Amino acid sequence: MSLDYRKAAQGVLDNIGGASNVASAAHCATRLRLVINDNSKVNTAAIENVEGVKGCFEASGQLQIIFGTGTVNKVFDEFIAISGVEAGTKESAKEAAAQKQNPFFRAIKTLGDVFVPIIPAIVASGLLNGLLGGLSNAIPSLQNSSYYNMINLMAGAALSMLPILIAISAAKKFGGNPYLAAVIGFVMIHPNLINAWSVATMNAADIPVWHVFGLTIQQTGYQGHVIPVIIAILFMSTLEKWLHKHVPEILDLFVTPLVTVLVTGILTMTIIGPVFKVVEDWILIGARTVITLPFGIGGLLIGFFYAFTVVAGFHHMYNMIEAQMVSQNPPANIWMPVATAANVGQGAAAMAVAFKTKNEKTKSMALPASLSAFLGITEPAIFGVNIRYRKPFIAGCCGGAVGGMLASLFGIKATAYGITGLFGFLITTDFWLQYAIVMAVSFVVAFAVSYISYKDEATAQAAPVVEKTEIPAGQKTAETAEKPAKEGADGQKKKVYAPINGEAIPSAQVDDPTFASEALGKGLAIIPSEGKVYAPFDGTVEMLFDTKHAVAVTSDDGVEVLIHVGVDTVNLKGEGYTAHTATGEKVKKGQLLLEFDMDRIKKAGYQTVTPVIVTNSDEYKNVQVVKTGSVQAGDEVLTVC
Amino acid sequence: MKSFTYVITDPVGIHARPAGELVNAAQACGADVTIRVGDKSASAKKLIKLMGLGIKQGTEVTVEISGENEETAAAEMEKFFKEHL
Repeated sequence: MSLDYRKAAQGVLDNIGGASNVASAAHCATRLRLVINDNSKVNTAAIENVEGVKGCFEASGQLQIIFGTGTVNKVFDEFIAISGVEAGTKESAKEAAAQKQNPFFRAIKTLGDVFVPIIPAIVASGLLNGLLGGLSNAIPSLQNSSYYNMINLMAGAALSMLPILIAISAAKKFGGNPYLAAVIGFVMIHPNLINAWSVATMNAADIPVWHVFGLTIQQTGYQGHVIPVIIAILFMSTLEKWLHKHVPEILDLFVTPLVTVLVTGILTMTIIGPVFKVVEDWILIGARTVITLPFGIGGLLIGFFYAFTVVAGFHHMYNMIEAQMVSQNPPANIWMPVATAANVGQGAAAMAVAFKTKNEKTKSMALPASLSAFLGITEPAIFGVNIRYRKPFIAGCCGGAVGGMLASLFGIKATAYGITGLFGFLITTDFWLQYAIVMAVSFVVAFAVSYISYKDEATAQAAPVVEKTEIPAGQKTAETAEKPAKEGADGQKKKVYAPINGEAIPSAQVDDPTFASEALGKGLAIIPSEGKVYAPFDGTVEMLFDTKHAVAVTSDDGVEVLIHVGVDTVNLKGEGYTAHTATGEKVKKGQLLLEFDMDRIKKAGYQTVTPVIVTNSDEYKNVQVVKTGSVQAGDEVLTVC
Repeated sequence: MKSFTYVITDPVGIHARPAGELVNAAQACGADVTIRVGDKSASAKKLIKLMGLGIKQGTEVTVEISGENEETAAAEMEKFFKEHL
């Protein structure tokens, strides 16, 4: 039923003139990306007819063949195997880094992707749970009130119906229909099945069974389970997409949903569910065994290594462990307090750096990074500060270890997951004092170790090199605000120098709505006093337009700048412009790129004002104009960070 | 993959303002959008590449949409082209 990856790879290879015509091969999330020596040997139409290919086109010098997520990597592996082409150049390998990780990491990443969107539902439920718990401890009579009863129902709803939320989220991730996925989720926790939580208290003989396909299946539900649901939906999505492609269109509307639900439902009940329930139990028993090692050793180990797992992108898996713990009755998330210890530790270590360093830049980065760690977002502290200087990272881990051990010894149980740090108080209302002690101890230990061990001069030199390679592909997680992470990891200010002699003005003063609104990116504009455009930095000419009125240059450190000489001057079709460079050329700062005839442009009725725009502004936190007024080519006019 | 063809009516073609709008629309639709004209093509999310196609008024372009929700994305893009380009 599934695609024959080898056949697909062979089909591609046959239509591109064989392996000898391939200069390099790589893949991204959805596409096979091939660099072809002789494009005339490529038969695009034939490639599009190969089974599994969803499209094929050439872009940025590559032949890109779309297979889709989850498929392209398998076709790529086969393609490499049968063609003997070296896998990926360095450049393309970088691009595909996320996909080239081993299957274990990809599976963990998938788990994270499924869990992140449903965190709000869990947080809502968990907070209600925590608040109700805290209030009813203070006022026991509350439990008899109708209000309590009603709100208690709400608090439990999301957690007891978790498989449905997971099914919907997984369908979105795998490209299946979320409503059909919800149906599968309903089936798995149907009220006619024995509730998974009741099973433990029942006699095995009392549980009703089905006899199908020679198997004896217990009629039990999947409350609180995760992996069986995700695998079922992965199967469902694959089947559904396959059916969409192969069922004639007039039948598609009713055949596809019917067959999808029927087949997925039966397989889930008979094979997928029972098998993966066991797999999931093993993982959870493993995690639980470690964290419940006696004398707080479990908390100590996990508290210490937690930050390492964040660096490795491993922590996506913890969502699942926590979800399982939370969906017990009563909820008992013993993982979250340990995670809090580790996060507070990293925050405190970064804070110590902020206090001790004399370098203003480090200080201005470390302080906000540490504060956000206390609120549960650790990536800025870990990647931006601690890993760079190494010792604070280890200091943070020490704080995490001591705090984790305490959390374990106290037996702190949270009622939800998805929040750590200071906000964690809201879900640990039964243990607020112990929770506060855990945070305080983690803080003090990590801060002290970091403060004593950190020294400015020894580390400042090596700083910028380390972190780029260590950011895992899974950095866009719930815990990560992407931009702070980027800023933290790559906090170097990049400079753009004036490309033209003249008067620099803010973009807003350009008499053209597109440039004035900075719709194409942030920057400034220069009213030229001389008709020459020079390179704004060392870089590469990304694109010299046919009409020569604009040139795009990318700096060696990645800033993309568009220099657009005049407004609406595309209409001049190159008249009055002389090019001194070409697309793809390497240029040095100050090198002459273009000459233009100012009088001619003015006579034709156009303005010569020249917007200088950072077209990839949204990849940066800040694009700042540092000089306006009279400028000479080569003056620093913009900083990007 | 979905695709449609369209003849550009905007007087400046796919240049500064229209190009910027197209990039925003393409980013918002969630799928991969490729603009093809003659033997050249470019991602509609890359401003520079897109402007580099030099698409003028009266040029026929092919718009190719692929990705997870390509059906709705294709409809959105077609609407966008009719209204803005």
